This record gives sequence, C-alpha cells and structure tokens, in this order.
Amino acid sequence: MKYMIMTFGSAEAGLAAMGREWMLEMIQFMRKLDDDLTKSGELVSNEGLADGSQAKTVRFQNGIAVSTDGPFAEAKESLVGYWIVDVENEKRAIEIASRIVAFVKAPIEVRRVMDAPPEF
Amino acid sequence: MRRHGQFDACEDAVQEALLAATLQWPKTGAPGNPRSWLIAVASRRLVDEWRSQSARRRREETAIALELPVQEITAHDDTLTLLFLCCHPSLSVPSQLALTLRAVGGLTTAEIANAFLVPEATMAQRISRAKQSIKSAGMRFDLPPEPERAERLLVVLHVLYLIFNEGYTTSSGPSVHRTDLTAEAIRLTRLLLLLAPGEGEVAGLLALMLLTDARRAARTDADGSLIPLDEQRRDLWNAAQISEGVALLTRTLGKMPVGPYQLQAAIAAVHDEAPNAQATDWPQILALYEVLERVSPGPVVTLNRAVAVAMVHGPRAGLALLGTLDQDERMAHNHRLDAVRGHLLELAGEPVAARESYLRAARMTASLPEQRYLALRAARLN
Repeated sequence: MKYMIMTFGSAEAGLAAMGREWMLEMIQFMRKLDDDLTKSGELVSNEGLADGSQAKTVRFQNGIAVSTDGPFAEAKESLVGYWIVDVENEKRAIEIASRIVAFVKAPIEVRRVMDAPPEF
Repeated sequence: MRRHGQFDACEDAVQEALLAATLQWPKTGAPGNPRSWLIAVASRRLVDEWRSQSARRRREETAIALELPVQEITAHDDTLTLLFLCCHPSLSVPSQLALTLRAVGGLTTAEIANAFLVPEATMAQRISRAKQSIKSAGMRFDLPPEPERAERLLVVLHVLYLIFNEGYTTSSGPSVHRTDLTAEAIRLTRLLLLLAPGEGEVAGLLALMLLTDARRAARTDADGSLIPLDEQRRDLWNAAQISEGVALLTRTLGKMPVGPYQLQAAIAAVHDEAPNAQATDWPQILALYEVLERVSPGPVVTLNRAVAVAMVHGPRAGLALLGTLDQDERMAHNHRLDAVRGHLLELAGEPVAARESYLRAARMTASLPEQRYLALRAARLN
C-alpha cells in the first residue's frame, strides 16, 4: 500500500535559524534516508518544493480565475516536501515518518494514497 | 523520411528493417553496404505497409513508383535536415528537445523520460504531439532555404545548448548533473560541426560545452554539494577536454564572424587555463564580457560582467553595476541576482547584508543543491 509522507514549514525560518553543522547533518540525513528507501525498494518518488514565498495561489473569484502571490496555507503550514512510499502496512509508513520527525522535529503527515479497486 | 515524408511510418519501417537485420545478418553476414541495405529494406517495409493499409489504386501506383534502385544517400545532408526539422521554430521548446534526442540522438523514449525526470507516458505524448505538429503543419523534409538557414541554425544551437544545460545544471530534482544528457549534447554538437564545418558558432558551442563539462568532476563533493569555481580542485579538471576546447577556439576565433557561443567559450577557456583561482586573468574576462554584452546584451550577461568588474575594480564597483538590474523585470524571479550580490557583499566585508542576500537567493531557487549551497554560505556568516 502506498503512503504519502509530508513535511511542512517554511524554508525561510529553517534556513535562517539553522547553523552550518545542522544543515550539513540534515543533508547527510536526507541522503541516507533516500538511499535506504531506494535499497529497500519502498521509495516510489520524493520531491522537495521550492519555498512557499515563491508560490502563487489561484482562486475563482466573481467568475474569473485570479492569481495572488504566496501559498494557500499559512507559510509555516505550507507543504515543503514529500515522499511516496510503497510499504507493507501503515505501521511501516509510520516507522519511516518517525525517523524523519526525530530529525526535523516538526509534525509529519502520513496519508494513504488511494488504490485501484480490489481485484476480488 | 526525405523520400517518403511520413515521420511515424518511416520510424516504424526503419525499426523493422533493423529487426530484420539482427535476424538476418548473423546468418548471412552483413551486406557490403549496410546503410543502403537498411534503407532498401525499410523502404520495402513502408511500401508493404501502405499496400496493406489501402487498396486504393493511386497508392498502389505511388508504391510501385517508389521501388527504385537504392542510390547512395549522403548521410550528412539527411542528418542535418533532420536536425532542422526537429528544431523547427513552430514546435515548443520541450518538444524540440525531446524530438531531437529521439530522432537524431536515437535515445529511447524511456531514456529521454528518465533524463527529464518525467513518466514515460508523458514523454511519449510529448514526442507524438511534436510529430503530429510536423505532420499537420505540412513541414517538409528539406533543408531550410538559404535566407532562413542562419536563423534556423541558431534554433538548432539553442536546442543543443539547452540539452547540455539540462544535464549540467538540472533545472529541477535532487542531483546536479545528468551526465547522459551532457554527453549526448556534446555528441550531437560534434556531429553538427562535421555537417557544418564553416560555422563559427557551432565550433564555439562545442568548445563551450567541452570547456564547461571539463570541470564536472570538481564541481561537486562526495555528498553532491556544489563547489564554487574558486574552491574547485583543478587537478580534477579534464585536461584532454580543455585542450580540445582551446584548440577548437584557436581555430575559430578571429577567422569566422564572432558570436555569443564563441565568446562564452573564450571566457570558460580563460578560467580553465588558470593554474589556480588567484591566477585568473580577470581583466581578460572583463574585456570578453564587454564584447559579449555588445554582441548579445541581456541581464544575465550584465550579472556576470558585474562579477568580473568586482574582481578587476573591487566589490563596490561590481555592486554598483548589480544595482542597475534591480528594476529589471526579467531578473525579478531570478535567484542569481541575490546570490551574486551576497558574494560581492561578502567580499566587501559586509557579512550581515551578505547573509540576507544569500538567504533571499536560497528561498528563490528551485534547485535543491543550489539552495543548500546558498544556505550554507549564509550559515557560514552567522
């Protein structure tokens, strides 16, 4: 079964607050995580998103589409990246998310990806 | 394709001919002229296909008329014509890139999809839409007429340059390099130079690619993090590629009309020939940027010239030139303006302002390795 594991926040706060050592550790951590998930055959895809300050939100207003600068959610709740993993069960998805949360220390959302209907 | 005019049908027929070759040649041995053999077989397959598709008399007659004895075809002219067709200005840029790699480069759809990090079905659609546009616009498999040819060649060069850049500084995704694309772009540009040896800008583009790609091994560390030019280990640079690039430029510069690719290659050559960062001939680089700005002006050239100005006349002079770009709409969403500003402010001894510029640039870039690099530069100034 597939799960999407999502991290939230703003690169702005993260980049400015963190020291060099932490950043280097973070890079190592992410690389190792991706390696491990690739080796175990569980990684389907993962992407990091450009900072929310660069986002546009498009709304339907008075019958026309209007775009404004900035993300839809509050900057600190804006999606910054995700992994899609194909795992044995939910327990394993939570295990992966736990490994990430122990490092980034910000809440992580784990959500089931909809499946095709069962064969029988 | 030149003879029969149908992109899809020709591609299928050639594939069948290749299949026939792999089945037949091991048994009978390769024919004396494999190319003519393949064209003959592909033409027969195409004719068979037309016959089976329709019993209409007119088609039958066309098919019979096509069964001519195979003549020796000049491979060069056909490849060049195919390049012009794949880089037709009426196709979208992503279509031009995909079609060039597919039809001229001979990469499979799966390989191209993999190189651009999109699903294979998406890339298959992109290629098939491009073929459809060629068909519906009634484009012919002919070399563009002489008055347009120079302009059309610029489009071909731009497509090859974009393929190279896509491989060298990936526009998205986690890793910096996709070597398969840079290698393919260099191979195709080499081929183009064989086909158009009298074009200075083709030689210039090939030299630029070789001189840039030469630094690939030194450009990232073991973690895949970016290393700026002045901190790279120059012993890791590819000396063979540098000397080939320099030799190409030497043969070209001053003997043919100068253009932006030759000038950018010349700048890359000055960097590559310096034994260490301190020995870089910045006055020479600045002079080349001044010529480049006259030949092909634009905000990115001004940005690069600002770095050269800073190295020759000091960081304040560079920052003043950068200031002229602040109001430029074209740079409003380009992180490089703030990245360069950060660098020059750091040189000018203003760590607080430098840090802010680096962080602004880090927020704006869509490249993960670049974001990490900029954030680390900022963190270093804490």
